[in-house]
Amino acid sequence: MSLRVEQSLSQLLHEALVSLRTLGKRSMLALLGIVIGSSSVVALINIGHNASVDAALIFKDMGTDTLVVQFPPKGSANVPMRTHLDLDAVRQAVPGIAHIGALSLFSGPIVFHGRSVNANFVGSTPDVAAAMRLTLQHGRFLSGFDVNETYAVIGADVAQALSAPGDPLRLGDRVRINDYLFLVVGLLQPQPRAMLMPVQPGESLFLPAEGMRRIYAAPQINNLIIRAAVGQDMEHLARAAADALRAQLTEHDVDIQVPQQMIDGMTRQSRTFAYLLLALGAISLIGGGVGVMNVMLMNVSERRREIGIRMALGARQRDIRNLFLLEAVTLTAVGALCGAVLGMTAAWLYAWLSGWVFDLAAAALPLGVGSTLLVGLFFGIYPAVSASRLQPVEALRDE
Amino acid sequence: MTGNSTLPGLISLHGIGKRYQLAGQELSILNDVCLCIARGDSCGILGASGSGKSTLLNILGLLDLPNCGQYHFAGHDIFSASPDELAAIRNQQIGFVFQSFNLLPRLSALDNVALPLSYRGVSRHASVEQALRMLEQVGLAERAHHRPADLSGGQRQRVAIARALVGNPSVILADEPTGNLDSGTAQDIMNLLLALNREQQVTLVIVTHDPQIAERLERKILVRNGVVQEVGRL
Repeated sequence: MSLRVEQSLSQLLHEALVSLRTLGKRSMLALLGIVIGSSSVVALINIGHNASVDAALIFKDMGTDTLVVQFPPKGSANVPMRTHLDLDAVRQAVPGIAHIGALSLFSGPIVFHGRSVNANFVGSTPDVAAAMRLTLQHGRFLSGFDVNETYAVIGADVAQALSAPGDPLRLGDRVRINDYLFLVVGLLQPQPRAMLMPVQPGESLFLPAEGMRRIYAAPQINNLIIRAAVGQDMEHLARAAADALRAQLTEHDVDIQVPQQMIDGMTRQSRTFAYLLLALGAISLIGGGVGVMNVMLMNVSERRREIGIRMALGARQRDIRNLFLLEAVTLTAVGALCGAVLGMTAAWLYAWLSGWVFDLAAAALPLGVGSTLLVGLFFGIYPAVSASRLQPVEALRDE
Repeated sequence: MTGNSTLPGLISLHGIGKRYQLAGQELSILNDVCLCIARGDSCGILGASGSGKSTLLNILGLLDLPNCGQYHFAGHDIFSASPDELAAIRNQQIGFVFQSFNLLPRLSALDNVALPLSYRGVSRHASVEQALRMLEQVGLAERAHHRPADLSGGQRQRVAIARALVGNPSVILADEPTGNLDSGTAQDIMNLLLALNREQQVTLVIVTHDPQIAERLERKILVRNGVVQEVGRL
């Protein structure tokens, strides 16, 4: 006679199904508790994720995806920097770069209809507009076909300073720098001050880089502005770009500032946020778990007779334990699935109401469902073990 | 763990005693019980209520452990068996029939009958098939999917008997199996049990206080104040 027999899987599945079909009113209440606990974990993780995505968007606008390159001379030799760099080669070497633009800076007075204002002259390559996030109010930015033209794009503050009541500076007007007249082809939108940029666009006049020699005898590239593609590791990108640039330079070194403090602040903030929300979800999940334990304990004391009968029919202690554990886990599994659906809906609704972009957090579903199942298992163990410890004759005697 | 031929019969009790602690007082239920039951026997255990006959049945059915003595069931020494081994013996050798039927109300008649098989690793499909055959044997195949609540008392006891038989046990232990039934139905149930004893050589042990039922069994064992006495063989 064999004494080691395990219940087959099909029998266990059947038991779980029966326990689901015959859920009592109290089990429904426990189920509700689990659904709420599980859905709040799923919802809060997702809301936290969406909030940090939104926060990241705000920080991105402030320039966390932007690198500013400087070229300090090697040693003490005061060799002027070059006037041209092969930016296409850099872009090909470093695929993470979305935009790269070179700036040669100079400053001086601009004259328009007799009015004079000091401004930065920024010799720009066409991609500077995208790299510095410049937006135009009127007209267009400098293009690759403008290299030999005396065209200019004017910053909002400069334009306002040059305008007078009844005589605003408009597209097609000409402004004078030294002896050259430049045709205004674009007017920039007023923008908040850029924190990391070497020049403030509002206080600048953008000219084709090749034309800088007209107003300044020895123009040189002062800075490069690099904007990273989405989701790049900025440190890594900065190192790759520096290596690519060093290959083109002999007398100058490459120094790239990474807006690391800003990025660190952003991640720390969103992490704090996520922890807070996770703790809130965990607390409500534990509440649901206690509900499950409650119901399972009631279940065990109500079904003492059934336990006795099953033991008389040959159920071992572990079969009884598994039976009640299976019921607790079945209950929480149903609760976890309902909670997942409810939680995602709530998160979507919340994102919709707050005008955020809804983005599914990868961790939300596995973490929410998994932690709920664990809670069910944890809180189901005690009732199940206490059921299995009953003596058959005591359990049967109970009326 | 095979049957030991030197031991007489299927069930052998020697000097069995059972005491309970109740409100700080020691209460002796059974004293020095010696009893042998051979395969194929049919025994009635008789006695007034409170005499200890149900305790004796619980000990025979391995639901309760005696405090002293020796008990061998089909060659297994009960005192040295682990709880799991006891459960396996109950599952494979013993079929219980209770006075109050003790069917699980949440399960259909068919699932109730199939339940003992699930504890010996039989798959769901095979156990349902076997349970259906058992229900046919007790004449309840067309009620297989009814819940116990939808069955009459006699039908419920038939389901309980089918459940006791489904595991092909060597002994059926019945505790007042006809106690909750009217006399006509009681006759049917007794006929069924005795037929099983006659035709399939299933050992039958029935606790009863009804002398008419005891009359129909081969052996009558009287329990009085915790002492067991064989009243005579037919």
